[in-house]
Amino acid sequence: MAASAPTAGNSERVRLLGLLLKRRTVVVGLVVLGLIAALAILAPLIAPYAPNKLSVVNRLKPPGGTWLFGTDEFGRDVFSRTIYAGRLSLLVGGAVVVMAAVLGVTLGLCAGFFRRLDTPIARIIDAMMAFPDILLAIALVAALGPSLVTVIVALGIVYAPRLARIVRASTLVIRELPYVEAARALGVSTPRIMTRHVLRNLVSPILVQGTFIFAYAMLAEAGLSFLGLGVSPEVPTWGTMIAAGRQYIGQADWMTLFPGVAIVLSVLSLQMVGDGLRDVLDPRLRKDL
Amino acid sequence: MARYILQRFLGMLAVMFVVVTIVFVIVRVAPGDPAAVMLGPDATAQDVATLRARLGLDQPLVVQYVYFLGQLLQGDLGQSIFLDRPVTTALAERAEPTFFLTLFSILIASLIALPIGIYAAYRRGSLFDQAATTAAMLAASIPSFWLGLIFIQFFAVRFGLFPVSGYGGPDAGFLVRLQHLALPALALGVVSSALILRFTRASMLDVLGDDYVRTARSKGMGEFRVVMRHAFKNALIPILTVIGLTAALLVSGAVITETVFGLPGVGNLVVSAVLRRDYPVIQGALLVIAALYVLINFAIDMLYLVVDPRVRY
Amino acid sequence: MSPLKCALLVGAGLAALAAGPALAQQKGGVVNVATVGEPPTLDPMVSTADLVGIITQHVLETLYTFDKNWKVTPLLAEKLPEISPDGKVYTIRLRTGVTFHDGSDMTAEDVVASLKRWTQVASRGKQTAGNIAAIEAVDPATVRITLVAPYAPLTALLAFNNSAAVILPAEKQDNPMKEPVGTGPYKLKERKPDQYIQLVRFDGYKSLPGEPDGYGGARKQYLDEIRFVPVPDANTRIEGALSGQYDYVDALPVEAFDRLKGQKATEPVLLKPFGWPVFVMNTKQGLTESRDVRLAVRSALNMEDMLAAAFGNKEFFALDAAMYPKSYVWSTDKGTEGAYNVGDPEKAAALLKKASYDGKPLRILTSRQYEFHYKMAQVAAEYLKAAGFKVDLQVVDWATLTQRRADPALWDIYITHSPFLPEPALIGMLSTSAPGWWDTPQRRAVVDAFNSEADPKKREALWGEVQRVIAADVPFIKIGDFNALSAKAPKLEGVVPAPWPYFWNASLKK
Repeated sequence: MAASAPTAGNSERVRLLGLLLKRRTVVVGLVVLGLIAALAILAPLIAPYAPNKLSVVNRLKPPGGTWLFGTDEFGRDVFSRTIYAGRLSLLVGGAVVVMAAVLGVTLGLCAGFFRRLDTPIARIIDAMMAFPDILLAIALVAALGPSLVTVIVALGIVYAPRLARIVRASTLVIRELPYVEAARALGVSTPRIMTRHVLRNLVSPILVQGTFIFAYAMLAEAGLSFLGLGVSPEVPTWGTMIAAGRQYIGQADWMTLFPGVAIVLSVLSLQMVGDGLRDVLDPRLRKDL
Repeated sequence: MARYILQRFLGMLAVMFVVVTIVFVIVRVAPGDPAAVMLGPDATAQDVATLRARLGLDQPLVVQYVYFLGQLLQGDLGQSIFLDRPVTTALAERAEPTFFLTLFSILIASLIALPIGIYAAYRRGSLFDQAATTAAMLAASIPSFWLGLIFIQFFAVRFGLFPVSGYGGPDAGFLVRLQHLALPALALGVVSSALILRFTRASMLDVLGDDYVRTARSKGMGEFRVVMRHAFKNALIPILTVIGLTAALLVSGAVITETVFGLPGVGNLVVSAVLRRDYPVIQGALLVIAALYVLINFAIDMLYLVVDPRVRY
Repeated sequence: MSPLKCALLVGAGLAALAAGPALAQQKGGVVNVATVGEPPTLDPMVSTADLVGIITQHVLETLYTFDKNWKVTPLLAEKLPEISPDGKVYTIRLRTGVTFHDGSDMTAEDVVASLKRWTQVASRGKQTAGNIAAIEAVDPATVRITLVAPYAPLTALLAFNNSAAVILPAEKQDNPMKEPVGTGPYKLKERKPDQYIQLVRFDGYKSLPGEPDGYGGARKQYLDEIRFVPVPDANTRIEGALSGQYDYVDALPVEAFDRLKGQKATEPVLLKPFGWPVFVMNTKQGLTESRDVRLAVRSALNMEDMLAAAFGNKEFFALDAAMYPKSYVWSTDKGTEGAYNVGDPEKAAALLKKASYDGKPLRILTSRQYEFHYKMAQVAAEYLKAAGFKVDLQVVDWATLTQRRADPALWDIYITHSPFLPEPALIGMLSTSAPGWWDTPQRRAVVDAFNSEADPKKREALWGEVQRVIAADVPFIKIGDFNALSAKAPKLEGVVPAPWPYFWNASLKK
């Protein structure tokens, strides 16, 4: 952390990007991720059918021909549903990252900067981390009632402590750095120091962690939906699609196969990118698993 | 040192207190009236009100909270609504499958991860290393329930090698139970091998570059002995730590895996309790699992104190 | 062993061998039965869940039951009740020598206590309670029920296995029930929630003489043990059947039929027809209080698509406008003309206009406990939207659904299903207190006439009138007939396809 200059110039950014793109896994991950995102964003243009268009006569048709990925038990096109589901699955992942970042950074900064808040916040973070993430998410969703929003909120709460911990630790280091102390001596206000100096230095670890949280959140959402405790079953996400297809395994395997592959590909490419980011941006974070 | 231990102990108590409070809040926020749930659809408003009074649900939240703490200190987690028994009994009944599932998953994960991780570090940058690292990432990307469904389809339905679900009947012996545990442990083991593999590789890389390894090599010691005797031995403590942490993480995976395989463990109990609105069970299970995690962490800290004198206090 | 004894034994053995085919049923063995889940209770009085009935009917018995033609037949009673000419006094003779699992004898005192408990805790019992003037013991083997007004369905009610008038020992009448102690051929040994319910043979069982006849007649105890294993996931049940893990698997999605055919470890058991899915309307308040809106809903729906999405192949469902399929005496086409499978969005839209519909969302309450409910709901939602409805599909778990449907402010339509009940009066939705709260003068006239008529022939005609009023008033919409699929291991014999499968009379082939 101390190594990275307080203001990374343009050239520094280009250098990091170059380092990043030298890694084959990162490039593959970015390409796959980009493809998935493009499919999801352009779903209305690409999807041959509306995702909820019923056609009961054409139910459980195998992949190929008219239906690239086959049809489900309502005769809906699995391909169209898979790419539309991608929108929600990616949305959940992204929204959870934002939610976790806002919560985590706020908590972490407060703990790191205000000595009096440090102990209570640290205890809360420790206590939150004592719950296995899926279990806490299940309990929160049960308490808030299952819906898209509550799943995002629940997972955001679940993953916030991870970020909070990193932010707190980094803040504790940064606040003692000479230039921050200098700024303080010059009478720069605390909120200003926090945003100006500290946050800037936290961009890389948050980016790295955020990538992984994105991946975990997608897995967790799928798990919750699979258990019937997540997003409402008529909303197509990859998790709800697998849950619905479960009944037809051995009869219409494509219903579970394609959304499953979609999850694996997205999570895998996110991890590839995250790994590369971690190695390039902060080799010391490698051990902070 | 005594002061450090006392400090850590008090810290742990504080965390426990926060855990208890979080659980209390989550369960009270939950919609639905536990009294109405208990009495079922045929109950009259009068019945519900009576039961609410009996359960103390008509009291202010603070009073309920103090009462809840009091019960907890006596080891009383309340009564399950659906299962007609104390929550502690319900949890104790479900502990065995979860314990064995966790144990065997860890064993399988370690059996996969340790040799591959060590060899990958030894042949750093080789094709094997790249393949192993990618495979680890792939394993960590697979939803455990999806892998479970695939395993059931292949090993249980198509080849009939293992039972599809459950934990055996009333007279099942340990071997039968083992059969029931095989597939879920394999699914969970594969998925969680990733973390151990990557950590083993990283720790081995650290030590392989160290002086004493180089010295051992220059003395003409066999490669296998160098890697196993010198390097692995020194990388063992961090590796064991990550295995322990993985075990704690596994509880998470177990929630879904137990449901997929119909194992009557704690995770399965929580999921059905949520579906049945059995709040005392949700509350009890959350408390016990989180408390165990806090205790294990505390124990690890204390162990470090014994094992590694460099830990500062 | 003396030579004589030895010869006798050999002789007996030979005789048994000679009688082989006739005595094919082996005694002994354990069957594993996969059920849809963990029952909420083992007290069939307080629950109307089929699952509770399926399990407890082995342990707890009623005064009457149904034979293979769905006629009421005695079980713990000696014969059908003697009914006074005015239809108000039922005199029930009890069988003697019947013992409970705790060793005590069953007497009139137990029966009176149990029937009284039934009128207090069972939903069907509570409905009947207002019509019962007295339940009393005449002598240790005779019970008399006096009614306020004639009520023909009474014996059928006493024969039903859920919300059931089971007979418990007089001193074991606690509510909630502490332990299920009954007179059945099997008794409870152990219950491990979410793992199994273990029943073992009750050696003191006194079976009816003669041959088995549906739920009636002799109940043979070939099996040593019956284990009910909760397997909530339908696909896991299919897989458990395919891999031979369970000897009997209940309530499979009918579309699994092809997967079960030609297998070594299992074979499909199709019960045809099994029952009817139904959309129940809230006639008390909100949108569907208006008859025109209810008519609009029915006119909008295409039953064929709903059934196809829910059950797949036509082998597994039938379009049927009548309340009962052809195989039942209650089958009639009264009032069904143009009132079924209309699927006409324009007609529905016109009706909505007439009702001056203002775009308020139609709240459909459904659950995924039964996957086909949810599937029908999804197809229905599309058709309703096409007709101009705004639809709010609320997918909740079954327990929540049963809670919400009790509050008329919370829903407009909820989805459920029912097996074809041997006695139409038992159809819950005909009661004014059931969710839906259908209560119109027309209903009262036809249902009361039907319930108080004793002559079976006249009742058939009167049922036609009830059906006509249902079709006109639309308190609920029958979607069609559907079949039920279960699976059994080839070695399991003597299991008759039934809406509530039972395992006395069943045996395992070695």
